[in-house]
Amino acid sequence: MLKSLFPTLGRFRLVVQLVMLFVTVYGSVFVGTYMADKISNNLPALSCAYDQMNGGYCVLIPTQHIIHHRIGEGIVRAQQLTFGMVLPLLMSFVAFFAFFFVIGKMFCGWVCPLGTLQEIVGKIGRRFGIGLHRVEATDLGDVKRVRPVKWLILLGLVFLLPLTTGLGVTPHSMGNPFCDICPSRVATTLLTGNTEQLALRVNDNVSFGLGAIANLLIGFMIVGGLAIRQPFCRICPLLAFNAVFQRLSPMRLAKPTRANCGTCHICTDACPMDIPEISREEGRKAYHEDCTLCGRCAEYCPQDGIIKLKWGPFALFASSREYYKNRVKGELPDGTVKPLKFVRNAAKPASGTADA
Amino acid sequence: MKRTLLFLLVAGTLAPAWAQHEHHAAAPAGAGAPATESRRPPADRAWTQQPLLLPGRNPRGERAQALLQPRGITAETVTVFAAEGPAERRKVAYPVSPEGVKIAPATPQIGNYHWVVAREETPGAVKVASTAWYFGNPGDSPKELLKAPKHELEIVPDPLPREHGRYRESEKWRFLVRFNGQPLASQPLTLETEFGSRNSFVTDAAGFATVLFPRDFKPAKEDGEHAGHGRRYGKFVLSAEKDADGKRYLTAFNLSYGEDGDRNRSLGWGAAFGLIGMLAATPLLRRRNGAQGESKNA
Repeated sequence: MLKSLFPTLGRFRLVVQLVMLFVTVYGSVFVGTYMADKISNNLPALSCAYDQMNGGYCVLIPTQHIIHHRIGEGIVRAQQLTFGMVLPLLMSFVAFFAFFFVIGKMFCGWVCPLGTLQEIVGKIGRRFGIGLHRVEATDLGDVKRVRPVKWLILLGLVFLLPLTTGLGVTPHSMGNPFCDICPSRVATTLLTGNTEQLALRVNDNVSFGLGAIANLLIGFMIVGGLAIRQPFCRICPLLAFNAVFQRLSPMRLAKPTRANCGTCHICTDACPMDIPEISREEGRKAYHEDCTLCGRCAEYCPQDGIIKLKWGPFALFASSREYYKNRVKGELPDGTVKPLKFVRNAAKPASGTADA
Repeated sequence: MKRTLLFLLVAGTLAPAWAQHEHHAAAPAGAGAPATESRRPPADRAWTQQPLLLPGRNPRGERAQALLQPRGITAETVTVFAAEGPAERRKVAYPVSPEGVKIAPATPQIGNYHWVVAREETPGAVKVASTAWYFGNPGDSPKELLKAPKHELEIVPDPLPREHGRYRESEKWRFLVRFNGQPLASQPLTLETEFGSRNSFVTDAAGFATVLFPRDFKPAKEDGEHAGHGRRYGKFVLSAEKDADGKRYLTAFNLSYGEDGDRNRSLGWGAAFGLIGMLAATPLLRRRNGAQGESKNA
């Protein structure tokens, strides 16, 4: 029964993503309106507080809020060090970790609404036969050059600017700068029929500038996502935030040393984050900071038991040749699928490559 | 085909963007400001005759304490109802002094919404002022707190705006009117705002009234007049009266409401930057020979 409903890990993940998209955008219908009703106010996935209908908040919201209003202002007042500053931040991280411990970075690959939306855009691109651009050497530049951006955004926009705002150094409009540039804020509020977050504040230059960046990102993501897999995930500070804790969750990607691996690189082709280390490295290094635990590398590894999704000692999914053979019948490792009929007909005179 | 789709996408996005942008440009923020400013009631002038519990100053930014000032009601104490905490702290009366009444959450660690009531009783009348106060710490949802009857005639928000939200101009919100814990049908309800609006609503058979907050904020001054987070707030009061058991019951619920989210925002600019982002990504859509289905995919 389950096998017929979810013939592949990819199908199962898509169903989970769609359910989670509903929870993170419209979840208040089930869990309730108020903050206390939410699943968590420290989710390890983007879930926007500007969306009045969501089921939980992303951990980056209280992080900015506490650093701005508690730590920054607390330092200025130089009192109540423990109860006013450290404890709220600590409690926020503890609540975050209670969730993160269970499925780790799967929050990125299975729960995050923006990740799901980007995957849907990517699937549309594949169905319309739009050529895939890999973010790797010899293409748009080395993927490694993009990697530090997420850490810079985490340090600068989630920690530093809220702190300097709380200290009174930067203007109040820089109190939650990551939320202001977050495309998920625009995307999820638009999904609830609210255009307010798409509109830019015109009475404050800083807010205007930050909002403009968010809109540039969402615009780029909508069109660029047709040709590049997961464009925003690569610079998402929540990916960096989760990477800090990724070794502390039992959920992980396991690729033990094997002599017959490292030649085909199909796992890297399948990886929506274009992580070359998954094919080049083994052991601890193969589970890279950019990994979202989507499991595609394990699905598309043609060798038995080379790549596994594991929770502690338990293997939840392991690569197998038989599974690989069936999987590539429906979708190629880079996500290529049979384009829609009218796209195929239009492309026929030019080339037949899309039908590969 | 792809060019056609791209053209439709660009045209579809541009049209509303231009329309919104021009609409915004036609009504600059400062237009009409001098005429309307003179009509603004001074801060100390009464904008309503209804009883109120107004927030006082909190210069030290205390989170576990708030100062409220009763207006239009004579009460020796103000009662604070909490959603959680020790039983003896769920309902606490605080004495009213000349500068107001200092209230606190059930315990310093417990926050979220608390319900605040001032009550005045004379031989022929019961007058109640009520408001909600949010203490910036985690705490229980106010659902049960709102459900529990707290005095005779009540106006109960359904729901209260959640954290990060609030009542705003042009929005519709539901309120339940109860008398002795029972919903009151066909009960008139009056909304007054500090900007001079006054509207009446009537509850339905289930005791609910849907209240439309008027769009009555004056245009912002060009010197950047605004409260925290760049938004402006105004005061409102909802009131209801009922005669029963030889007494006249008057109840009022006051809180603040914010300006419409569309004010000081431009959907045109927003859409334009979104479009620029889209255009910046369009070179990626160009088909490249051999880009798909390369050798390892086969």
